[in-house]
Amino acid sequence: MFLTRSEYDRGVNTFSPEGRLFQVEYAIEAIKLGSTAIGIRTKEGVVLAVEKRITSPLMEPTTVEKIVEVDKHIGCVVSGLMADSRTMVDRARVECQNHWFVYNERMSVESCAQAVSNLAIQFGDSDDDGAAMSRPFGVAILFAGIDEKGPQLYHMDPSGTFVEFDAKAIGSGSEGAQQSLQEMYHSSMTLVEATTAALTILKQVMEEKLNSTNVEVMTMTPKDLYHMFAKEQVEESLKNVAPLEQSRGDNIPRTESVPQAKTSE
Amino acid sequence: MSSSVSRPYYPDYLAETPTKHHFSPYADNGGSIVAIAGDDYVVIAGDTRLSAGFQIYTRQQNKLFPLTKTTVLGCAGCWCDTLTLTRLLNTRMQMYEQEHNKTMSTPAAAQMLSTVLYYKRFFPYYISNMLVGLDDEGKGCVYSYDPIGHCEKAKYRAGGSAGALLQPLLDNQVGLKNMQNVQVESIPLDRALSILKDVFISAAERDIYTGDAIYINIVTKDGIKSDSFPLRKD
Repeated sequence: MFLTRSEYDRGVNTFSPEGRLFQVEYAIEAIKLGSTAIGIRTKEGVVLAVEKRITSPLMEPTTVEKIVEVDKHIGCVVSGLMADSRTMVDRARVECQNHWFVYNERMSVESCAQAVSNLAIQFGDSDDDGAAMSRPFGVAILFAGIDEKGPQLYHMDPSGTFVEFDAKAIGSGSEGAQQSLQEMYHSSMTLVEATTAALTILKQVMEEKLNSTNVEVMTMTPKDLYHMFAKEQVEESLKNVAPLEQSRGDNIPRTESVPQAKTSE
Repeated sequence: MSSSVSRPYYPDYLAETPTKHHFSPYADNGGSIVAIAGDDYVVIAGDTRLSAGFQIYTRQQNKLFPLTKTTVLGCAGCWCDTLTLTRLLNTRMQMYEQEHNKTMSTPAAAQMLSTVLYYKRFFPYYISNMLVGLDDEGKGCVYSYDPIGHCEKAKYRAGGSAGALLQPLLDNQVGLKNMQNVQVESIPLDRALSILKDVFISAAERDIYTGDAIYINIVTKDGIKSDSFPLRKD
């Protein structure tokens, strides 16, 4: 890909002669630097799990917020440029509230993804205000929600393309994680099994040792809707995670090497 | 139209008299709407007279507007506002269907109508609206509105020019209000239809803006059935 680099990767609205938008493709590459996030949809609900990179022992881990609530019935996890993600999550929240205001009903997860997609493809747009977005968002999002179709999981990338998934991984470890998901996922999974599977896969692809401070877990169920795991609940879930098989962990491809952080006890 | 106050006549100064121009953006074209909801159906009826003062524009104007297979809107009041509002609602229904890949439910349409009306808070649509349909559980429901979007969910309601005349009659016959030793339960469809016709006969007796005939829409899970019934034409 980088061999074909040319003048055409400058403007965000300029197609290359082969018909590619390089800036969008580079934005998708930027996701592969982000921390790994996993979403699994089961019949009981959806689980999201994400690693938090604690790059310094002096850092406050709770301020790294990668799983956020969009509405009571929709939550999402983001990977990539966190600052960009704030704008997109804001839009998702506004659209959900607007839908409730006008129609007095919960917005469907697909419609929510569509609304955020409309924002994501506005790069290069400029109007008379001069307020134009200069580049695509460097963010991938997994939307987890409950609507009239039941538990839903949607993935969206910087091009604004959104697709429904049973299970999806994004971020630096996504290639290996997606492979593992394909092996572990089955349609009759329980939510607890899915949570264990997500954490097991995270453990395999993470650089750091998995513990209750460097992971966020959220479940979305018809009964409790958005539910963020407290530290104790994460610890409880981690007990189900099998210890790493040595050979297995080493086989997982790593696309990036982050300096090993010294985590405090 | 001569004024009772006599003024001296100065022809030279006629041009100096201030001239008052007046334009009223609203017209009251009359009409009444009545709706009754049951456990698995809802009926709505509107008379077919369109009038302005002592003039009758037409004796066969339908005032019921099906929005979906399970939702019907009835409008009485300013007819030109009704035309615009119903066109706007139909576009909103279609846009919702295309955006969200589903048909709008009756409660959603009810909330949307409320916001659409309130957005014209300071130049309102001069319409008595009545939205009926089946809710998510298949039960009949009636939503009635004031012109600026206040919305009330009910089991039965009368609106329009004979609304104040008919509501007490419905309270008595459908709601069984202020009676002792009565069991208030939902009424069957044939009873609702006969009450509907009876109250319109009563309205046509006293209200000059209601008469000629009624159009009836019966909403069940199988769709919307139309019917009509003649009223006195004077």
